Amino acid sequence: MLTTSRRGVLAVLAASMLPGVPRPARAGDATPISFGLNPLFLDSDIELLSMIGQYLSGKIGRPVQLVRRRTYQEITALLLSGQLDGAWVCDDPYVQHEDQLALLATPLYRGEPLYQTYIAVNENSRAQSFDELGGSVHAFSDPDSTSGYLVTRYLLAVRRQTPASFFREFFFAYGHRNVVRAIASGLADGGSIDGYVWDVMTEREPELVAKTRVVYRSERLGFPPIVCLKSARDTEIAEGISRAFLDMRLDALGQKILAILKLDGFVAATPDLYSGTLEKWLVVKAQA
Amino acid sequence: MIGIATTISQVVLSRLASDQENNLRALTNAYLDGISAAVTQPVMRGDVWETFDALDRARTHYTGVAARYVIVELPDKRVLAASEPLRFPVRSSIPTQISVHFPVIDGLGLDKEGGRAWLSRTLKVEGHSVGKILAEIDIAALLEVRRRVFWTLVLVNGAMTLAFAAIGYAFLQRMLRPLGTLTRYVERVREGRAEPIPEGDHHKISAEFRRLFDRFNAMSRALNERETLAARLAAQEKLAVLGKLASAMAHEVNNPLGGLFNAVDTLRRHGADASVRDSTLNLLHRGLWQIRKVVRSTIVTYRPEGFSYGLAPADIDDLRMLVEPEAARKNLVLEWRNEVFDKLPLAVGSVRQATLNLLLNACAASPPGGKVDFLAKVENEALVVEIGDAGPGLPSDLAAYLIGEGEAATLPGDGLGLWIVRRLVGGERGSIEVASMATQGTIVRVAWPFRKEPAAKDGEMPAIAEEIVHAG
Repeated sequence: MLTTSRRGVLAVLAASMLPGVPRPARAGDATPISFGLNPLFLDSDIELLSMIGQYLSGKIGRPVQLVRRRTYQEITALLLSGQLDGAWVCDDPYVQHEDQLALLATPLYRGEPLYQTYIAVNENSRAQSFDELGGSVHAFSDPDSTSGYLVTRYLLAVRRQTPASFFREFFFAYGHRNVVRAIASGLADGGSIDGYVWDVMTEREPELVAKTRVVYRSERLGFPPIVCLKSARDTEIAEGISRAFLDMRLDALGQKILAILKLDGFVAATPDLYSGTLEKWLVVKAQA
Repeated sequence: MIGIATTISQVVLSRLASDQENNLRALTNAYLDGISAAVTQPVMRGDVWETFDALDRARTHYTGVAARYVIVELPDKRVLAASEPLRFPVRSSIPTQISVHFPVIDGLGLDKEGGRAWLSRTLKVEGHSVGKILAEIDIAALLEVRRRVFWTLVLVNGAMTLAFAAIGYAFLQRMLRPLGTLTRYVERVREGRAEPIPEGDHHKISAEFRRLFDRFNAMSRALNERETLAARLAAQEKLAVLGKLASAMAHEVNNPLGGLFNAVDTLRRHGADASVRDSTLNLLHRGLWQIRKVVRSTIVTYRPEGFSYGLAPADIDDLRMLVEPEAARKNLVLEWRNEVFDKLPLAVGSVRQATLNLLLNACAASPPGGKVDFLAKVENEALVVEIGDAGPGLPSDLAAYLIGEGEAATLPGDGLGLWIVRRLVGGERGSIEVASMATQGTIVRVAWPFRKEPAAKDGEMPAIAEEIVHAG
C-alpha cells in the first residue's frame, strides 16, 4: 500500500515535471489553477480580468491564476508545456496544434461561434480594396493570430505574394486594439484585425475606430476557443473550466462578463468548426 | 527712478530667461532620458509598434514638455517611428527643412522668436549608436510667461515710478511754495514796492523759510525807511538848490538894478531931454526885461504844475538862464547848443529838472575857468541831451548807479542829485550813458524816448517827481 502509494505519488510528481503532462488536480484543492488569456481587447481591462478570475474560481472551487503574455506564442508554449490548465487561444494556434489540444468551449458571437477578419485602413486612405494596399505600411496583430495575420497572409499566398514583397513595410503590434491605434494614428496605412474586436471597439472607443475604415471582410471562421491539452481533457480541472464557460450565461456574474465581452455565451464545439482556419494555415504553411 | 526701474526689470528678465533655459534643459533631459529608456530596446529590435507606443504614451506621461512631435531615427537616417506618423511615415527620411533645426551634437537648439526648441539625443547601446531621438518642443508657454512677467514689470514699475514722481512733485511743490511767495515779493521790490510778506503766509512752512521771510520783511522795512529818508533828503536838497538859485537869481536881479537906479536918476535930472529920456527908458526896459526873464524861468521850472507834456525849444533854453549865474560864479565857459526846433511829446518838468540837475552837477565838477558843454537834439524819436564837463570824472560806482546797473552803497551829499536824475529819467523810460573823456572830464548822455500815449494827467506822474514838486 505504502509502496504503491509512494510510487503513485512519485509518478504524479514526475509527470508534473514532464512537458506536455498536466499537473494532477483535485476539486477542493487550494493549488491555484492557471488559465491563459490571449491579448484580445482585454489588455487594459483590469476589472474584466478580475471578474473572470472571480467567476472561474467560484465555479471551479479553486483559486484561479490568470496568465497573460505579450504574444500568442508565449501562451501556446506555456499551454503545450503543461504550465497552463487551460487557455483562451486563437484559432490559429489551435489548428496548428490540433493534435495536442482539446476544445473545451467556443464563444457565441451574435448567436454563432463564428467571427471575421477585417482589413482596415486609415480614414484618409484612398484604398477601397485589399489589393490597393500594395506598397503600403501594414500592421499585423500577432504572427499566430488568424485574423491579425493568417487570413492576410493567406490572401497574399494565393496571390503568390508575401508581406515583405507586397507591403512596403509591416510590423506586429501584438494586440488587435494596438492595430486599430496604429491605423488611426497613421503609423500604418492599413492593418489586419479581428472583426469581433473591431465591432466591440466601435461601441467602446467610437472616436478611435472612426479614424479607420474596413476595406475587406473575410468569410466567417470558428471563434477563438477555450482549450486544454488533450492529455488533460478528462481531468476535473479541464471539466471544471469547460463547465464554467458553458454555464456562464446561467450565472449573474457570468452574464455581466458576457455583457462586457458582447458575447452571447459559450458552446461546445467540434474541430471541424475550424476547418476554414486549418485550410488557410495549410496554404500558408505550404508557401513557407 | 526710471533708470532704476529699467535696470531692475532687465535683471529680473535676464535671470528669468536664464532660469527658464536651465529648467528647460533639465526638463528636456529628463524627458529624453525617459523616452530613451522606453525606446532603446524596441529600436534595437526595429520594432515599429513598440517604439511608436512608447512615444505615444510619452505624450500623456510628460505633460511638462509640450512636444509637437518626436521622431526616432535609425542610423540609416530613416524614420523608425514618430509620434506624428502622418507627418513622418515609417521608413521615410526627415525633410531637410526640418532636419536642419536639430542640433548635430546631442543637445538643445532654441528659436526664441518662433517659440520652438529642438532636441536630439543619440541612443547608445554598449557605446554603439542604434538610433536617434529628435523632438520639437513648443516653448511658447515659457515665452508667454516671460512676456507676462515683462509686462507686469513694466506696468508695476511704470506705475510705481509715476506714483513716486507725483509724490515727489507734490512734495517739491509744497516745499518750494514759500520760495514762490518770496520770489513774488522780491519782484515787487524790483518794481519799487518793498512790501513785507503778510503773517498769514508764514503758516505751514519750515523754520528755515520762516527765518528767511522774517529777514526779508526786516529788509523790506529797512528799504522803505531808506526810501522815505531819501525822499526827505531829496526835498532838503531841493531846498538847498533853491537857496543857491535864489541867491544867484538875486545876483542876476541885482546886477541890472544898479543900472536901473542910475537910469531913474538920469530921468529925474535930464528927463526933459527927449533923446536922453528915450535912451534911458530903453535902458530901463532892457533891465526890467532881463529881470522878468530870470523870474519867469524860475517860476516855470519850479511851479507845481510844471510836469505838463509838450516840451518847447524855449523850455530847454530857459535852463541856460538858471545855470549861467552858477557858471559865471566859477568863471566857466558854457557852450550851449540847442538843436531842438519843435515841440516834443515829453514831460516838461521831468526833463527840465533832470537836465538842470546834470548841468549844475557839471558846473560843480568843473574846475574854475573850465568848460561845460551842452547839446540838445532829436535823434530816433527821442530827445538826446549831452552834458560834458571838465571835471576829474565821475567815480565808477556813481556812474554805474546813474546808468541803472548798480546800487551805490553810499551816495554822497552831491549824489542825491544823481539819485533824483535816475528816478526822473527812469520814470520817463529814458536811458543814461556815462562816458569818461580820454584826458579829463565826463560826458553824460540822456535819451528820452517820445511818449506815444496821450499826455498823462498829473496824478500819473512818477511818484518821486510829484513828491519833489510838492516839497518845492
